[in-house]
Amino acid sequence: MSEPTPSSPAASRCEYTWAFLILRLFLGLRTFFEGVEKFEKGGTYSFKNYYENMGRMAQGITGASFLPLWATRNYAHTLGYLLLVLGAALLLGVKTRVTLILTGLLYVSLSFGLMAVQENEGVAWLGVYIGLFAGALALVRHNRFVLWRDRFE
Amino acid sequence: MPTPTTTGFTRRDFLATGAKLGAAFIAAPYLARAASIGSGTDSLNIGLIGCGEEGRVLMNAALKIPNIRFRAVCDIWPYNRRYGERLLEKFGHDPKPFEDYREMLSAVPDLDAVIVATPDFVHAEHTNTSLKAGKHVYCEKLMSNTVEGARSMVRTARETGRLLQIGHQRRSNPRYIYARDRIVHGNRLLGRVTNAIAQWNRAVTEDLGFPAKQAIPEDVLQRYGYANMHEFRNWRWFKRYSGGVISDLGAHQIDVFNWMLGSNPTSVIAGGGRDYYPNHEWYDNVFVIYEYPTAEQVVRASYHVLTTTSAGGGYNEYFMGDEGALKMSENPKYTKLYREDRAPDWGEWVKQGLVVRPDSGEGALPPVKPWEKPLSHPPMMSKSVSSVVDVRETAELSAWDMPVTLDKAIHQPHLENFFDAIRGKAALNCPGETALASAATILRVNEAVAARKMLSFVPEDFTA
Repeated sequence: MSEPTPSSPAASRCEYTWAFLILRLFLGLRTFFEGVEKFEKGGTYSFKNYYENMGRMAQGITGASFLPLWATRNYAHTLGYLLLVLGAALLLGVKTRVTLILTGLLYVSLSFGLMAVQENEGVAWLGVYIGLFAGALALVRHNRFVLWRDRFE
Repeated sequence: MPTPTTTGFTRRDFLATGAKLGAAFIAAPYLARAASIGSGTDSLNIGLIGCGEEGRVLMNAALKIPNIRFRAVCDIWPYNRRYGERLLEKFGHDPKPFEDYREMLSAVPDLDAVIVATPDFVHAEHTNTSLKAGKHVYCEKLMSNTVEGARSMVRTARETGRLLQIGHQRRSNPRYIYARDRIVHGNRLLGRVTNAIAQWNRAVTEDLGFPAKQAIPEDVLQRYGYANMHEFRNWRWFKRYSGGVISDLGAHQIDVFNWMLGSNPTSVIAGGGRDYYPNHEWYDNVFVIYEYPTAEQVVRASYHVLTTTSAGGGYNEYFMGDEGALKMSENPKYTKLYREDRAPDWGEWVKQGLVVRPDSGEGALPPVKPWEKPLSHPPMMSKSVSSVVDVRETAELSAWDMPVTLDKAIHQPHLENFFDAIRGKAALNCPGETALASAATILRVNEAVAARKMLSFVPEDFTA
């Protein structure tokens, strides 16, 4: 009976690198298109649609929770742009570690909004994403193919 | 400069004016309906024979139609007669009450039309006499409890030149007309119609009673053909007065088979029995299969009526084709249009407004929460895959709606059609000839149950 051959450190690093890259691309695409979708209404994309969609979201959350309209409106009006910027930064590899932390926190804030309206199914889905962000942060030291490196890399 | 004058509006004036305004407010709906009775050339004088359950339904529907004046009501039971009289008086009519319909016809000669809402076994007598007296007749379904009775009504209408409409009211319902003319035939959304299934499932009901003090004397009952007060109240269950549940409930839906398929059946096989109600004569459950010859193929249509359960989806008529299916019911909640997966895309029909995606219920997208953005397109994976348990199952049908509603009482359009036909503005939607074919189709079921074998029709069965 033969002993299992341990993989070489170089091969292991390669696997972690690809694992992280796949995760980064997935989270980047998901976040970016989540932002793009906020500008869509009836099949067309515009800033007018964005403010209509976000206004509806703010009104809906305020109407179903304790959150004041000024807070939900400000949050909603910022949300789409944040998703676009953070999604693009993940895809391009701009300060990935910081971006992952910020995007993860953004998803936590979204979860808070859904918790406030007791939308449990949505909270569960966001929980899955937050788990993925946590996993990505654990692997971020294997980050490659980046535009702007984090300081520790 | 003019000086302001005092109005002299005392507390007494205030109270008197207030009381008048209040009375006017309370009476407004009745006054508005009374004002629509009218007396112009379009106004029709109506006599009603039978103020029982169905008579009341028809009265309430007719009261909403302008230029209709009830001049007489007739019922052998004073209790019913008084109810009809009072209801009509409340809405500004001045009907004369009669026990005997013959007396009514001679005492009120200016009647334009008579509505017959009596038990089936006297439909032919009441209708024929009224037609011979020169009146147009709206007679409730089933046309008669015998085919010969129904045939005599058609012949009398023909001989007298008067109009005879039978109360298969689905034929005037805009939802049914739309389904038949635009969905099934006009644009053939069901493709080739291959089968039909209809049902009326109704929970157990108690026999109808009566206040002891209001009972009709035995000799009066017998003079009008009834054995006793119990049978008078529950005539639908007894063979000498009616065709049983198949004619009482099934009549409407089997008539829709004939109408929607555009033909009369060639054969019928049926089973049924009186298994639950020991004190009735007629069957309490009946199962039927008809064969209808259509241009494309023989359509088999099954029907069942159950009077001991409301399970199984209430009452509906379901037409199935190779590209779609239509579940119709007078109750919109049982109505749905289905598209087979193999059918051409219905996007074009949606653009044309022929069909619509459901807003709610079966086939509708999940409701959008207040904070969510409504979807521009249905999600790609909206079909449930978990329900497929066997590879032999075919794709799930998608559910759609028709953009037509009926915002009136279900009998009102059929009465409107009758009155418009009298005025020469419309053709009858269910003339005697048409209803005779339905009556022959329906009454043969009881013969098939008794014979316990398949019975055939010949074309002469459906004509007078």
